[in-house]
Amino acid sequence: MTNAFTPATQTELARFVAENAQGAKRPLTPVGGRTALHFGYAGKDGAQVVDLHGLSKVIDYPARDMTVTVEAGLRIDELQTLLRTERQRLPIDIAQSARATIGGAIATNTSGPRRFGHGTFRDYVIGISAVDAHGKLFKGGGRVVKNVAGYDLCKLLTGSRGSLGIISQVTLKLRPVAETSAFLWCPFEIFAEVENALGRLLQSDARPVALEVLAGSAAHLIANEARAGLPSASPVLCVGVEGTPQEVEWQLDRLRKEITPYGVQDLIRVEGESAEHLWTALTEFQTSADDPLTFQANLLPSRCMEFADAAVKLGVSVQVHAGNGIVIGQLPEEAATVEQALAALSSLRQFARQAKGNLQVLHCDPEWKSRMPMCGDPEPAWPLMRQLKQSLDPHGLLNPGRFIDA
Amino acid sequence: MSALADAPAHLVTAAFLDKLRSIVGDGNVLAQAEELLVYECDGYVVEKQTPDAVVFPTTTEQVSQIVKLCNAHHIPFVPRGAGTSLAGGCLPIGGGVMLALTRMKQILEVSVRDRYAVVQPGLVNVHLTQRLKGTGYHYAPDPSSQGACTVGGNFATNSGGPHTLKYGVTVNHVLGAEVVLPDGSVVELGGPVEDSPGYDLTGLFVGSEGTLGICTKLYVRLTRDPAAYRTMLGVFETVDDATQAISSIIGAGIVPAALELMDQGIVQALEQAFHFGFPLDAGAVLLIEVDGLEVAVDDEAERITTLCLANMAREVRRAKTAQERQLLWKCRKQAFGAIGRLSPSYCTQDGVVPRTRLPEILRFITDCGLRHNIRIVNVFHAGDGNIHPILLFDERDKEQVERVLKASDEILEKCIDLGGSVTGEHGIGVEKISFMNKLFTPEDLAVMQSIHDCFNPDGQCSPGKMLPTSAGCGNEYVPRKNPGRKASL
Ligand SMILES: Cc1cc2nc3c(=O)[nH]c(=O)nc-3n(C[C@H](O)[C@H](O)[C@H](O)COP(=O)(O)OP(=O)(O)OC[C@H]3O[C@@H](n4cnc5c(N)ncnc54)[C@H](O)[C@@H]3O)c2cc1C
Ligand SMILES: Cc1cc2nc3c(=O)[nH]c(=O)nc-3n(C[C@H](O)[C@H](O)[C@H](O)COP(=O)(O)OP(=O)(O)OC[C@H]3O[C@@H](n4cnc5c(N)ncnc54)[C@H](O)[C@@H]3O)c2cc1C
Repeated sequence: MTNAFTPATQTELARFVAENAQGAKRPLTPVGGRTALHFGYAGKDGAQVVDLHGLSKVIDYPARDMTVTVEAGLRIDELQTLLRTERQRLPIDIAQSARATIGGAIATNTSGPRRFGHGTFRDYVIGISAVDAHGKLFKGGGRVVKNVAGYDLCKLLTGSRGSLGIISQVTLKLRPVAETSAFLWCPFEIFAEVENALGRLLQSDARPVALEVLAGSAAHLIANEARAGLPSASPVLCVGVEGTPQEVEWQLDRLRKEITPYGVQDLIRVEGESAEHLWTALTEFQTSADDPLTFQANLLPSRCMEFADAAVKLGVSVQVHAGNGIVIGQLPEEAATVEQALAALSSLRQFARQAKGNLQVLHCDPEWKSRMPMCGDPEPAWPLMRQLKQSLDPHGLLNPGRFIDA
Repeated sequence: MSALADAPAHLVTAAFLDKLRSIVGDGNVLAQAEELLVYECDGYVVEKQTPDAVVFPTTTEQVSQIVKLCNAHHIPFVPRGAGTSLAGGCLPIGGGVMLALTRMKQILEVSVRDRYAVVQPGLVNVHLTQRLKGTGYHYAPDPSSQGACTVGGNFATNSGGPHTLKYGVTVNHVLGAEVVLPDGSVVELGGPVEDSPGYDLTGLFVGSEGTLGICTKLYVRLTRDPAAYRTMLGVFETVDDATQAISSIIGAGIVPAALELMDQGIVQALEQAFHFGFPLDAGAVLLIEVDGLEVAVDDEAERITTLCLANMAREVRRAKTAQERQLLWKCRKQAFGAIGRLSPSYCTQDGVVPRTRLPEILRFITDCGLRHNIRIVNVFHAGDGNIHPILLFDERDKEQVERVLKASDEILEKCIDLGGSVTGEHGIGVEKISFMNKLFTPEDLAVMQSIHDCFNPDGQCSPGKMLPTSAGCGNEYVPRKNPGRKASL
């Protein structure tokens, strides 16, 4: 990873990629904060790193339009600090925000607990510029919140993991900051009761923005991080609300009444600074990479508790974005060999497929990657995606072998 | 007309029609000249061309077979929903086969627990809303044409509506789709779950205006009903004051559920049609809805009222009953219908500007109307900066038609100058192809073209739409001879 090329302008970036395309044709790996480079397969050796951190200008922040245009290398914490000056935010939880960049976050389509209430990047990226494999700077979308001119390249590039273009600039739709937020932390004895409570919350009078379920050592770990003396019995249902103090108060009260009949052991309010710590802990859990392997499963929300139950029995610690059907799991340290890890994963993988979803490994020992579903089991549209990759990057120069073309 | 449009029409032979009938049955093929006339245009009535045949498939398998048959005979084909497109998306350039999806209109599954529904593309938007009543959930995209348009058409054009200000446009509510690709193969993109691995092809297909394939099934997200709402009518002396108020509201960090502007011309027509009690002397009214928790909506409504009054509103009324609210929305959604009272013909433009530039673009529209001596009225999704100036004219007066075209183009160019777009929700279709070069660079268009060619290499699926080069040979498109008249609703 030495000799990274660090462009200072988008033109410089485009020129560099164009020269490469016409000359050496080395594989290129765009990087932002380098927090998620382990995503996907290992890719080809000898890739030229293109480091975006020099592209970090704020191009335009018309706050009264609630949009912002920035270069892709801008760090998430810098972006959020800027937005806070206008009481605005990008309501997506991004891990390691002091390192991660907006381009990298969009390229990996990262998200966190608030996705239940606020959605994901596909709901916020309204304009995008990128450099294609030939070195051409192109854009899609624009700077206005509604726009249907041409193909929606914002959607195509979000989650493309640097395999279709190097994102150089983006325009985002913004939301107002919430005045305050709080949680109810609700330990249960059995998953079936959590599922009943979740079913009830779908018809809640409140409008929670996060519906998290933590089980196995995740509950313990996250409770510790929140530094609020929370009991770490498992499973825990953790419901997050936002709004004015009055809205938050009212919602906590409602939620308490709604959840109480379902065999919950306790209902603990988490507020103020503790709530902030808890948001952070819920956001960072997926990156606590001491464990041998982290996976993400996506499945029908109604099947998540069964899935979590099965996972916990295998020693996996799980965080479920229960409103969205997303499960983050970490294998226990005992899964020390690739065979053990594969054995633990195989039934969960099958379960996810059967619940109309998929399971992909986010992080594992680099030696294991070639045998792991680093991009999930191929979806029916996989051949079509390959074809698209091939037509936009015919020489396979952008992150080759790491994602769709692996 | 494009080269394709001049292609010989006799490609569709009697034998070919027989093959079509053998796929879908006799009752599902139209090929008589008089039957085809209905299909010569959609809501964009300027350009007309009849297809050689209209087929009404009832299954995905039939759609696939029809597409394969067309390919085998090198015959172009185009999908059509309810035909309410205002951009000519359904125009069968070069004739060929039109696949009308209106007989694929089942709701296949509703899962409130998992917050999705599976529907066929020909389902009328409002039928899904009706079906969901009482579940506590709804399908958020609500175009004003929702009583007629199909969810497949909404998918293809990425439709918006009044409530997209808070809830987003169609793409924010589509989880996946089954599509028949231009080669006739069937593929599922995404599905009922979120975050399917791989590229977001669902997101790419939404808004692709039928140029990447035909949608035969949709997985849509259901949205929780708001707990409470307040609906208000802000009455302003001038359009300028009303647009300043919009800027203030958004600028204060308030995101109402809907924020729609109607100017005096529209209000007068609506009053004649619905007798709501709109003030006829007001320069503009804002229809504002906030939703949220019961404990919060009054506060928010109060803040908005204060901001409106600070921007010279004459008064801000609240809808006191559910019926009053419904009537207000009915007025808004049928505003286009009332325009028939104002003028024999009209044409609607669909531009977007950053919402802080609304005062500027509306002043420009007024000027532009005066300069060209064309009456222009406005009813639009103000909170999103999505303008819909409606130019009133008489189609029989050629010279007037010329002026309408000029004025329309000036308005759209001004939208581009102000950092906006030439379409917020109606699409490029055939109508706005000539603007693509102004919005996008050759590099942007080349990437879009490679995407197009990857899925639709022969360009037989919806030829001549959206991309200036999609007809195959250079920058040809259907030139506009007339402005669009009116949506036939
Ligand atoms: C151990 C660990 C586990 C994580 N697990 C998850 C997880 O499970 N789910 C999750 O959502 N997030 C996860 N993340 C969060 C991660 O922090 C985010 O994805 C992050 O926002 C990536 O930003 P970055 O700038 O650090 O990107 P980088 O790590 O620098 O790059 C990430 C990927 O994006 C590409 N890329 C970077 N910049 C660009 C660009 N400008 N244009 C095109 N491609 C680009 C890179 O080639 C690479 O493939 C994890 C992070 C760590 C450290
Ligand atoms: C009175 C009136 C009010 C309107 N208000 C709004 C509004 O508020 N917001 C808004 O966004 N639009 C509005 N429109 C425009 C129009 O209603 C929308 O574009 C709508 O989505 C079109 O749906 P449709 O079923 O009529 O599609 P059609 O007009 O039949 O087709 C539209 C486009 O989609 C393609 N298509 C249709 N079905 C499929 C399919 N299954 N697969 C692939 N491609 C397909 C067609 O080829 C065509 O390009 C309005 C129109 C009218 C007449």
